[in-house]
Amino acid sequence: MINLFQAARELRAAGVLGMNRRNADYIMAYNPRSSFPLVDDKVMTDYVATTHGVPMPPILKVIEHNSEIEGFETTLGATREFAIKPARGAGGSGIVLVRDWNEAGFIKPSGDTIPRKEAYHHISNILSGIFSLAGQPDRAIIQSLVHPDPVFEAVSYRGVPDIRIVVYRGVPAMAMTRLPTRASDGKANLHRGAIGAGISISAGVTRNAVCRGEVVAEHPDTGNPVSGVKVPYWPEMLLAAARSFDMTGMGYLGVDQVIDRDRGPVMLELNARPGLAIQVANRIGLWGRLQQVEAAPPEAFVTAEARVAWARRTFAPAA
Amino acid sequence: MLKKNLTAWIVAALFLFPVALIAYRVLALGYPLFPAAGGSSWRISMETRISRPSLGQAVLTVGLPYQRPGLTVLEEFFSSGTLGLGLTREGLNRFAIWSGEVGSEGELVTYNASVIVRRLKLRSTPPLRLMPYPPQIGEKERALLERLPLPPPTRLDNARAAIRGEWPSPAPAQEDLTAWRRFILNQGRELAIIGLLRAARLNAREVQGLRLTPSIRLRPLKFIEVWSGSEWLHLRPVSGEALAIPQEQFLRLSTGIGKGFRVSEARVDISRWEVRRRLLGDWHLHYERIRRSTRFLDKWSFFHMPRQFQETFQILLLVPIGALMISLLRNMVGFPTFGVFMPVLMALAFRTTGLAYGLGVFAFIMGAGYFMRNFLDRMHLLLVPRLSLMLTAVIALLSFVALAGNQFGIREFMAVGLLPFVILVMVIERFFVAIEEAGVRQGIQMALGSAAVAIIAYSILLWEQLQLTFFLYPELTFAVGGALLLIGRYTGYRLFELVRFKAFRSQP
Repeated sequence: MINLFQAARELRAAGVLGMNRRNADYIMAYNPRSSFPLVDDKVMTDYVATTHGVPMPPILKVIEHNSEIEGFETTLGATREFAIKPARGAGGSGIVLVRDWNEAGFIKPSGDTIPRKEAYHHISNILSGIFSLAGQPDRAIIQSLVHPDPVFEAVSYRGVPDIRIVVYRGVPAMAMTRLPTRASDGKANLHRGAIGAGISISAGVTRNAVCRGEVVAEHPDTGNPVSGVKVPYWPEMLLAAARSFDMTGMGYLGVDQVIDRDRGPVMLELNARPGLAIQVANRIGLWGRLQQVEAAPPEAFVTAEARVAWARRTFAPAA
Repeated sequence: MLKKNLTAWIVAALFLFPVALIAYRVLALGYPLFPAAGGSSWRISMETRISRPSLGQAVLTVGLPYQRPGLTVLEEFFSSGTLGLGLTREGLNRFAIWSGEVGSEGELVTYNASVIVRRLKLRSTPPLRLMPYPPQIGEKERALLERLPLPPPTRLDNARAAIRGEWPSPAPAQEDLTAWRRFILNQGRELAIIGLLRAARLNAREVQGLRLTPSIRLRPLKFIEVWSGSEWLHLRPVSGEALAIPQEQFLRLSTGIGKGFRVSEARVDISRWEVRRRLLGDWHLHYERIRRSTRFLDKWSFFHMPRQFQETFQILLLVPIGALMISLLRNMVGFPTFGVFMPVLMALAFRTTGLAYGLGVFAFIMGAGYFMRNFLDRMHLLLVPRLSLMLTAVIALLSFVALAGNQFGIREFMAVGLLPFVILVMVIERFFVAIEEAGVRQGIQMALGSAAVAIIAYSILLWEQLQLTFFLYPELTFAVGGALLLIGRYTGYRLFELVRFKAFRSQP
């Protein structure tokens, strides 16, 4: 027993945020229930993000009814590549990427073809709510395709590496990138074996990395070192993350962005219940960071720019 | 968010209310503090026929048990023939006195009672002072007893030896020994021994009672109880040897010389005492008592409901405990389970199937359901029809299990119909999604976690003493609410997080 209390004391000393405290003191305290639709529904997220000048991959079309499915691809004009997503999907489920289409069907980035009928059926499933959080009817969005910037090419296996920034009261508190591996099937999903690499808020450079709870130095598939990668557009990404607070009124958010090789950083989605793995990837307790934010002077919160500046100053590595 | 103080007050109120109510019940209404403290239930009956050569007044006095710590007397029945019956309390004793005209044809009196004895935690109380000689012992006998040598410090051992006829040296004078023997002969061994022990300045008394073991005897068991300085020893009057009778296996009828069973002006034709085990538990005991009570709280007791509805509440009242346990396991330990209350519902279903069979069927349906769901996934069915199809499949599987149970004579398999099938469908769905999204390992982990929680919940729901406690004191539900509030406010680490974040510890 004494050992357990000792362990808990050590975690507290390291400022580790536990699930219970995250739920009670941060999510429940800072994320008003009424704002959840803004975060859970990508159509609404897109709307508020656009009004706040935070770029997202443009939504080309929103499909609400089964009658709109057939032949939707012909209404997109010259655009022949897109992503089909459920508006209320979580954790990347139900997403289909399309590189091009022809008579046979839709061509995926891997080169495989999905028969047209099957793709239509998939959209119909999305509308019926298969991928939505509570099974309620949903909308499908046709979003323009992201072409990942080559910055993480050496340390990811297929897929789209994304960058998650946890934002507390508008202040970027911690960041990591999720790098797909062969084990994660090219998905940027830590549960499935993707790598989580911490990114320093001040410099935007990757450092520690974990894969399935274990510390790793190199990407298991490419063999390249994961740490030391400098993330381009870092100030812009921090600013976009900081604006999520103004967009939604939510004080505790996970902001997921990717870097498009043409458009620069774009926001993919917001998460009102961001996971705790980010502190393992950074080897830094998140609770400690949040407490630092709480202690910040009022003027640090005035604008998104001020919040980013304060965070970059405060969360500089000690060394 | 409410103020922290207010929450504390609410929690305190939720804990204090049941405490106060239970205290009232225990102190004012005679509820037991530990409703299920065990104890065994016995049926005692006595039959005695007395007669006189010629018609005349006679009195029969019998020592009877009464309510006291460790002993509950319920359902007493007396029959007295033409005799009158009176009941009195006198010191440590309670007597039934039958009196009236008795002729040569005799009168039969009977006594029947049910008693519950419980083991007492308390040790027997020591006597306050040295009791005087019994009044039956005259001056002359007293002088004799005090002449008989029982040297300290092993007076008690010496007395016990003397009872056997082995006097310590120096041996008493011959005429004293003769007088002693005559005393025994005239006044009875018990009185003589008590007198001898009193002369050695030891408190002693005669006890009559019944050993609580199925038996029939002609008269109650008689022994001498003597305070050794630390405990009451029970001595056999004939040999002085100690009787080892645990308190909860003996029903005391009378204390004091000649108190147990007296008849005057008549003779006893037949007397018979019978002890039978009574196969009724604590439930019946409380049922009987509360049913007869007219007190407000007793009338509002679950025991006043018709029997068939009582059973539902026996279980229902424990469901919050199951939920409390799940909250504990999830929020303080970090156990992964499917859904919040699924394990409790599984546990409820296991009541009819039994644990082993229930888990077996659960595993079978989960496995079969998973493969079915996997297959359906490739058919791209829409959500509602797909879930309905899974529901149909689960019911088909349950039917199959029940029919197989019928064929092979396994009753437990036929009881599977009560497994919460809707829950099973949702569990299969979650199991599938967990495996798809987080991998097989995590999915199986969650399934095992759910099963483990269901097993714990099951053992709580079937814990009869807990059932009885909540049934008798349903206000304890408020305390469960208070505990849930506390867990709801627990923002510390979960046990599993100590492992998950071990990288942050200085010495992992």
